[in-house]
Amino acid sequence: MKAMIVGAGKLGAKLAEFFVAENIDVTVMDSNTKVLERLNEHLDVLTVTANGIDIKMMRDLNVETYDLLVGSTENDETNTLICTLAKKLGCKQTIARIRNPEYMQQIDFLKAELGIDHIINPDLATAIAMEKYLMKSYSFYTDDFASGKVQMVDFNISNNEEFAGKRIMDLVGLEHLLITAISREGSIIIPNGSTKLIDGDIIHIIGNTKEIERFSHRLGEDYHRKLVSKVMILGGGNVGYYLAKRLCKNKIQVTLIEQDRQRCQELSEQLDNVLIIHGDGTDIHLLEEEALSSMDAFVGVTGFDEENLLMALMAKQSGVGKTIAKISRSNYINIIDRLNIDAAINPVYITASSILKYIRGGKVVSVSLLLGGNAEVTEIILDNDLPLLGKTLMELDLPKGMIIGAIVRDNDVIIPKGSTTLMANDRIVVFCLSDDLSGLKIFFKTKKGGFLSELWNRS
Amino acid sequence: MNYGIVLKVLGSLLIVLGFLMVPSYIIALVESGPDRTPFLLTITLTLAIGLFLFLKERKEKSISAKDGLAIVALGWVVASILGALPLYLSGVTENYVDAFFEIVSGFTTTGATILTDIESMPAGIAFWRSFTHWIGGMGILVFTLALLPALGIGGFQIFKAEAPGPVAGKIAPRLKDTAKILYITYITITLAEVILLVIGGMSIFDAFIHTFGTVGTGGFSNKADSVGAYSSSYIHVVISVFMVASGVNFALYYSFFRGKVTDLFKDEEFRLYLGIIALATLAITVDLWLVSYHNLFYSLRDAFFQVSSIITSTGYGTADFNQWPTFTKGILLLLMFIGASAGSTGGGMKVIRILVMLKLIKREVGKLYHPRAVMPVKVNNKVMNNETIARINSFLALYMVLFIVSTLIISLEQIDLISAGTAVAATLGNIGPGLELVGPVENYAFFSIPSKLWLSLLMLLGRLELFTIIALIAPKNWRIDV
Repeated sequence: MKAMIVGAGKLGAKLAEFFVAENIDVTVMDSNTKVLERLNEHLDVLTVTANGIDIKMMRDLNVETYDLLVGSTENDETNTLICTLAKKLGCKQTIARIRNPEYMQQIDFLKAELGIDHIINPDLATAIAMEKYLMKSYSFYTDDFASGKVQMVDFNISNNEEFAGKRIMDLVGLEHLLITAISREGSIIIPNGSTKLIDGDIIHIIGNTKEIERFSHRLGEDYHRKLVSKVMILGGGNVGYYLAKRLCKNKIQVTLIEQDRQRCQELSEQLDNVLIIHGDGTDIHLLEEEALSSMDAFVGVTGFDEENLLMALMAKQSGVGKTIAKISRSNYINIIDRLNIDAAINPVYITASSILKYIRGGKVVSVSLLLGGNAEVTEIILDNDLPLLGKTLMELDLPKGMIIGAIVRDNDVIIPKGSTTLMANDRIVVFCLSDDLSGLKIFFKTKKGGFLSELWNRS
Repeated sequence: MNYGIVLKVLGSLLIVLGFLMVPSYIIALVESGPDRTPFLLTITLTLAIGLFLFLKERKEKSISAKDGLAIVALGWVVASILGALPLYLSGVTENYVDAFFEIVSGFTTTGATILTDIESMPAGIAFWRSFTHWIGGMGILVFTLALLPALGIGGFQIFKAEAPGPVAGKIAPRLKDTAKILYITYITITLAEVILLVIGGMSIFDAFIHTFGTVGTGGFSNKADSVGAYSSSYIHVVISVFMVASGVNFALYYSFFRGKVTDLFKDEEFRLYLGIIALATLAITVDLWLVSYHNLFYSLRDAFFQVSSIITSTGYGTADFNQWPTFTKGILLLLMFIGASAGSTGGGMKVIRILVMLKLIKREVGKLYHPRAVMPVKVNNKVMNNETIARINSFLALYMVLFIVSTLIISLEQIDLISAGTAVAATLGNIGPGLELVGPVENYAFFSIPSKLWLSLLMLLGRLELFTIIALIAPKNWRIDV
């Protein structure tokens, strides 16, 4: 498969990284040579210094031989135009990043008329992820799979006597759950029965939703179980707007703080029932005036990671139950785990997840990138003619970094053991470290191609 | 530096090198020459060291820029050290330094020889010596990359450090595919020339030897009179054309084969390269015709051959150009510095750098008239960024500094300045023959051992575009850090 990414910003660069891991031939186009040079140093991709709307360049690169083009420049209009042009020139599929809420309202029409196959809106996706988290009754971060039948939760075991210092096989009440991974000081450990948990570990548990709920209730005493009804959002950008709008629909009281007067005006026109405050969000007096401590949740979605992170910490200190920060750079991922905020949401990962799901095709139901992109959880429906059907998991000899967390068969959730066999039409939830991603291949049908066809078909 | 990964890649390089010696060993076996055992010993040793380094468990995975430089610089030195063994062990050279010089000259596609009696060499050695041109021409590590894609991330660092020219570009998204495309082009050109030479009446063995020398732009021959040993004008012309072809950026062939014929002639470097060849050929033809040959056809034939041979840094000769008129020698000396195109197998400063230099001069003149003018330097309608220009400038400066300092060092040999200067220019530019004492019918045997080592260093510097080797020598790089 061949893919072209136009625009090597945060999203473009991250996507290139994921695509390379997926064994896709990647061409990255950007008008900034410096960015491309940097990219070339750590990724095996072809870089082209050009403007994406340069048709001659597209022709020179034989865009018709590409299977996918992603428009991820800063500009919505440019992305749209690039995708439309590429499609007309014969590129098989195009994905455009579009962020402007006004365009989103007519997205179906745009897709159909302009020949764009898939639209990604990182801001909207981020807002949805935040909303999902805020609407849950417990405060650790979760992800849903198999239409909610299976969940994965991240749980910080700090100071919990029941876990710290114990071996996994000695834990009680985890019979129907699977600890797939442990984040310890920024690195990921794939545990076995004799792995000992230590203070400060974050465990990633996968299981039947009911079991997960029971589990979380048991731990619930330490957490605020009350439903969120008052939320403060810091930053009135697109994410803030989408989130406020969605929360309003859920009858949640929203206070939104935005620095720019003009933007406040716009927001107040577009959002009913949202309290818009014009002011500096880092001004603690302002936040106190607006009763920060009485909030159930605080969301930092300004354009600055540092500001989001620090203000979320500040809110936590003031006694806010759930705190979320939007973090766009992956550099901080390793320290965020140790900070006392409940969720750090990275728009880049969320968007990349949705693109990965899209390119892996029909049988992949969802992809979630976890742990700073070092691991992902993929949900796959098994085809009926895969060679691995009927074998036990032990026989499959999966790579170390890959764990089948759950199997959904005829609406039942099975937590697999070594003796479990896979069957056709099983919905499996696979946890996989990005180093072992190639191991995922066995779950898909593969096309055969000889050495020569590989060599010549690409020109 | 990341010693683990550096050693691992060097290991894989040695394994590849070991296998590359096998054809020479087979030839030695067939001919039952005295070089059988030396080849067997060297292959065993090379593979043993290679496997040892390769199989040792390493935890590091990616290659940093520093590692890339170290791998390329050390790789070439180690390949030369081991590649020289057969020559020394079979007694073709008297001492090891001579053998080292000869093989460095081979790998760097210089073609300068210390052998006084070329025609008495065993066949295996003769083949190996020329084969090193072929390997070194496109880059031994690029070859390793094509075979071992598992090197993956960081391979670009290696590619960048080994590829000739100021800007290394990929032509396919993946490095291994880029390397494959380059090698397929290379092999195609090689086979085409072998066939054409055999048609012209050359023996298959000699055709291979001379093809390796031509497409690698090396210049080793198994004849004392080089290509001059063949009187057929057809052979002269075929070799001339293939020398010119090997001095072209190989990436251009790729777009050419993909049907973008016009791209080739739109490329500014290619046009300047052909322009220089045409102009130099014309000037030398006239000079030869009027002053020494008095025959237009032979003047043209020899002028074209010699111009192609020198500008592409091959160094084959059909005549003793040391006896030619001074004006002609002056032109040839100039061509030694210009060199071939970037991304080709040729050496020298590279036409693209000369092109940028000329444009810079033009810009400076323009700025005298219009001090506030904004005039970016464009090549092929693309703006060259200032960093690239700065790199080109410092390359040209370093090239001249090395030339002058080395000429001083070599002049300690008590030889005339022209010999010393052209010996340096011919090794630094990977050309081979110079003028006077190192002229086309002479050789480098008379130099003392320190001079031979210095000239070997110059050849490596020239082949790896100066900075790769300089960076390795710079003491800062030796700090152990991860």
